[in-house]
Amino acid sequence: MSDTLIKVTGLKKTFPVKASAFSSKSLTLRAVDGVDLELKRGETLGVVGESGCGKTTVGRCLLRLYEPDAGRVWLEPEASLVSQVSQIDESVAAMAEELGTLSGQPTKTTADKARVRTLKQQIARNKAHANELASTSDLLSMSRARLKANRRRIQMVFQDPWASLNPHMVVKDIVGEGPLEYGTHSGRELDRWVHELLEKVGLPPQAANRYPHEFSGGQRQRIGIARALALTPSLIVCDEPVSALDVSIQAQILNLLISLQDDFDLTFIFIAHDLSVVQYISDRVAVMYLGKVVETADSATLYANPRHPYTRSLLAAVPVADPDHPNELRPPEGDVPSPVNPPSGCTFHPRCRHRIDICDKVIPVLGKDQNGHVISCHNPPNG
Amino acid sequence: MDKLLDVKGLKTHFHMHGYTVRAVDGVDFSLGVGETLGIVGESGCGKSQTSMSVMRLIPDPPGKIEAGEILLRGRDLLKISETEMRKIRGNNISMIFQEPMTSLNPVYSIGYQISEVLMLHRDMTKEDALKESVRLLKLVGMSDPEERVSEYPFQLSGGLRQRVMIAIAMACEPDIMIADEPTTALDVTIQAQILRLMADLKARTGTSIMFITHDLAVIASFADRVMVMYAGVVVEQAPVRDIFKKPLHPYTQGLLGSIPVLGEVKKRADGSRQLLNAIPGSLPDHRNFPKGCRFAPRCTKVMARCWEAEPALVPIEEGHQVRCFLHSDAVQETPAYAEVKRGQQRKWQRADRRAQNAGAGADTTGGRS
Repeated sequence: MSDTLIKVTGLKKTFPVKASAFSSKSLTLRAVDGVDLELKRGETLGVVGESGCGKTTVGRCLLRLYEPDAGRVWLEPEASLVSQVSQIDESVAAMAEELGTLSGQPTKTTADKARVRTLKQQIARNKAHANELASTSDLLSMSRARLKANRRRIQMVFQDPWASLNPHMVVKDIVGEGPLEYGTHSGRELDRWVHELLEKVGLPPQAANRYPHEFSGGQRQRIGIARALALTPSLIVCDEPVSALDVSIQAQILNLLISLQDDFDLTFIFIAHDLSVVQYISDRVAVMYLGKVVETADSATLYANPRHPYTRSLLAAVPVADPDHPNELRPPEGDVPSPVNPPSGCTFHPRCRHRIDICDKVIPVLGKDQNGHVISCHNPPNG
Repeated sequence: MDKLLDVKGLKTHFHMHGYTVRAVDGVDFSLGVGETLGIVGESGCGKSQTSMSVMRLIPDPPGKIEAGEILLRGRDLLKISETEMRKIRGNNISMIFQEPMTSLNPVYSIGYQISEVLMLHRDMTKEDALKESVRLLKLVGMSDPEERVSEYPFQLSGGLRQRVMIAIAMACEPDIMIADEPTTALDVTIQAQILRLMADLKARTGTSIMFITHDLAVIASFADRVMVMYAGVVVEQAPVRDIFKKPLHPYTQGLLGSIPVLGEVKKRADGSRQLLNAIPGSLPDHRNFPKGCRFAPRCTKVMARCWEAEPALVPIEEGHQVRCFLHSDAVQETPAYAEVKRGQQRKWQRADRRAQNAGAGADTTGGRS
């Protein structure tokens, strides 16, 4: 078994949106636009960014709650298989590009037409081959039966504790639904397991027979966490689990997640918009902006030496509990641009203080700098 | 500093079926001219109900301001008529609400919603009011205000909607602006923008601000004075530097410990995980407060006497008040009552009123309107 628990490559997800309420014209919203992530067993990866940057979509794509358009989500992949499949994927991409230029030509010769035909066949064949190879560990090309078997290994904790629990079900049924479906526990044993989970998340055993509306926000989030733990998953995707809570309750939930990670041997993807929270709980942090990862680094070095201008402005926006704190950094101006019509070049350039001429023309590529940060920026500040 | 607003012994209770929720249970504070007061506490601690009482926006029934005085420049807002109160709302005291999505009317343009205030309070014509609206939108940092006035709330992002709310609140240049969790529903980046804007406006107009939040970090660089509330009472009140540098009440200390500090290393020296100093448990049931100190069940420094009697809010230093037996032995006069049954209610209210009368001398009816 490899050390990598989950590996995401080239993940893309678009949504069709209408140009206006009365228009039949459809536009494409690129929520996630080519995201690569890798998680080691027992690690916590923080994903941070403003509303609309695609961080929630990434989390949902991992569980196939949204069906991604492209990319692969590898669960415990063999390194050789990944490289084999990605080679085929690359050749398919190259062929698709050639096909695109060919069919874009206004006049076509017979040779061109024949080439187009063979290209189409080859693409279809190679794609099918790659998917078949990948289907053992790629969640996106798996058969339904295998997906179901693997799904219990990835669970999710949702943002809004008021909307994510069924009001008609008692806590016992909410938490026990997964084990019952997978047949891991039943009858008395299931009751015992639910009680054990409730105790783990700090709820009294009497809570089992109550309805969600009888609990406060923090307690509901605990129920959501117990539900995610019920199938003893390897990975939990926490989608803004604390942003709807008071700071005092937020601290309780963060502490709970940290202690459960040790007890249940969990790997977390922790999604939030508040860098101080993400940085606190994560080993590594990925900063997202408009569907792309713009900086990835260890959480300690990310704070000590943020490279991307966007990361710097996110850090500047975090309020510091010290009246004497000098706030030299300034938060970014304006709002996130619409992902339907993102700015040209580097998508952050309209809000960036370090922009140079090239920024609005060329899309920067993710690259490693000398400190191990992976950033995509033409003119990174801080040396 | 001159006292602009002076709140004395405010009690706002909600009479539900068979029990009473004592949301605000004897709160005293004052607000100086040009001062920013931060009110901090968890959801349900009564901080919003305190501000709603000042605006007299408590739904009655079931709510009722049972006792106290709210003096605006020496005039008791609880004794004036509803018509007079309407002149004060928006004109002298205005409010920014937490949810910019739900507090703007979706069927009117934002220009109209700002103009409405101006036409009502400053007798402007429609044209003048619209011109003034454009100026106000510019003031709150909206780009293209001439075009934006005719847009509707759904066309704006959360941050921009909150800017519109601030423009409405600022329209009549009020003496006091009450901001009830104005940034809680927003992203941190937009929160930083809104805080910067409010600080700018305050510097420019000299408005006093009551800033209500659950996150102490938000007001660190913004407030002059901070009041920490817990279960309907003030537990600590001090200048902002004292609250952050030498918090006295265990609850304030717990709130500060709950905030993750940027750049703090997560691992301890021996490699184990560093946990936040969270406050255990949650707010007590409003129907059934503990007999002694209301914070006792969650307090890490609880002593035997904390379960027996409720401590009083006493000044420790210049401007620094705290309600805790660790710092003073003074006991709160009014008894904290356990489950208040329907039959007992009136008896307790009479007892309360007697205590109130004894304390405040000639004050007979307080907030009974």
